[in-house]
Amino acid sequence: MKVFQMQCKTEIIRVLRNRYFVFWSLVMPILFYYIFTNVVNKNAPDLAEWQAHYLMSMTVFSVMGSSMMTLGIRMVQERSQGWSTFIRITPLSDGVYFAAQMVGQSVIHAFSITIIFIAGALINDVSLTAAEWVMSGAWILLGSLPFLAIGTLVGMMKKVETAAGVSNVLYMVLAITGGLWMPLEIMPKMMQAIGKWLPSYNFGNGAWEIVRGNMPDWKNILVLIAYLVLFMLLSKYIRRKQEAV
Amino acid sequence: MNAILTLTNVTKSFQHKTAVNNVSFSIGQGEVVAILGPNGAGKTTTISMILGLLKPTAGEIRLFNLEPHEKQVREKIGTMLQEVSVMTGLKVREILQLIRSYYPKPLDLEELINLTGLTEQDLKTRAEKLSGGQKRRLSFALALAGNPELIIFDEPTVGMDITSRNRFWHTVRALTEQGKTIIFSTHYLQEADDAADRIFLFKDGSIVADGTPQQIKARISKQSVSFIVDPELSLEKLYLHSEIDDIYRKDNRVYVQSTNTDRVLELIFQEKIGARDIQIERGKLEEAFEQLTGNDKEAI
Repeated sequence: MKVFQMQCKTEIIRVLRNRYFVFWSLVMPILFYYIFTNVVNKNAPDLAEWQAHYLMSMTVFSVMGSSMMTLGIRMVQERSQGWSTFIRITPLSDGVYFAAQMVGQSVIHAFSITIIFIAGALINDVSLTAAEWVMSGAWILLGSLPFLAIGTLVGMMKKVETAAGVSNVLYMVLAITGGLWMPLEIMPKMMQAIGKWLPSYNFGNGAWEIVRGNMPDWKNILVLIAYLVLFMLLSKYIRRKQEAV
Repeated sequence: MNAILTLTNVTKSFQHKTAVNNVSFSIGQGEVVAILGPNGAGKTTTISMILGLLKPTAGEIRLFNLEPHEKQVREKIGTMLQEVSVMTGLKVREILQLIRSYYPKPLDLEELINLTGLTEQDLKTRAEKLSGGQKRRLSFALALAGNPELIIFDEPTVGMDITSRNRFWHTVRALTEQGKTIIFSTHYLQEADDAADRIFLFKDGSIVADGTPQQIKARISKQSVSFIVDPELSLEKLYLHSEIDDIYRKDNRVYVQSTNTDRVLELIFQEKIGARDIQIERGKLEEAFEQLTGNDKEAI
């Protein structure tokens, strides 16, 4: 248990010291949030609702990014630099190592969510009920699972550069097509139709529904679970293929 | 002696080649063993199998009477791999504390620092900013962090300057005095000779010699007595003596190979063959070693 705590703590320290994480997962979402609610779109019809909606978009954007990129790229780094090999020779079990990474990552997400929520409350006086804050935070924390699975897929790539490139592009494409930057409603019909089936839209929509006082759609939950299962199977398949060589 | 590592008919084949072929040996507690051989002789593959990173295609490996991948085994071994790696985002002190926490009876941080020559400054440095030498020191400290009984180094001194090399071997000697068992691989005969009390000579995936440095050296470096003699004279008489391994002529000189050159001199006078300008030739160790293990064209 002591080993597990130590390992979690270490993972958290490492993420917080990572400048890319601080920039992409904290600075950028908050900056975007300020711009799109105070500089652009100042005259949205229901301003309070837009401010709450966009706060969710940016929090989802942040957590989605660190799930896919921070975890994946670090996995590739550790493997390509031989650190994973060294760890395999120590008594640390694979299970504890993996679990600590997941827990560490989740603590980081909880931290990001809290920071961005506080930023929203300070910048625009976004006021939600306590239940809404907690529910939306929990939704974002849990909804990140399929994206963590994408992260482990990214983590199987051979080179850090490839992993960073691919995950970056995927991140941006998913963010835009999922309506995290701009609402899906203002996009062409075709894009909307596709977007509704993407994990990013379903991740965001659950949070948007909560701040409107509704519950997340069953469809959102099912789509996210389906993606989680798909990515996990894919990751298992690839790992088996890599081991066979 | 208590065997703490035993390999029995271990073979490792990859798709197109056999890297390790039917290797067997046993190492007792407190031994310092060098796995000596040129690049591609199967040294790293053998070490990887001992560490449980690779599975043998055939044969069995037992450490402390257990399988290599078992937790109790890992708690008792420490290792420094060829590729030095670090965990980014952490300071050296933090990495050491983390790795120490994996082991039931880790070495004191103080002692680790003393043994490996890490400085206060090193400890505060983030892993990704370390120089090559600092990384090596960290890697050495990580190998010792768990206070292991068996320490395995794969080509430990590659990339070390003379000072760090001396310091490294000095520490290794101190560790052997504490009763640690040490296995290291190297392609320098000199290093194996200086540091080990037993050498496995690897060639093309097999052990071609196993013995003390003296035995190995005697095996691979032939001594001979050379002299000038009337070319008409038959040397048949010398062939009758079993101490003589070989006789050949080269550049007008006769070379008589034997491990006992004193005896050869005695014989030359005894048989009255009229030898002049007698010299004792000591085979160059490094040359003989390269001849024995080299694939001729290997780039140096």
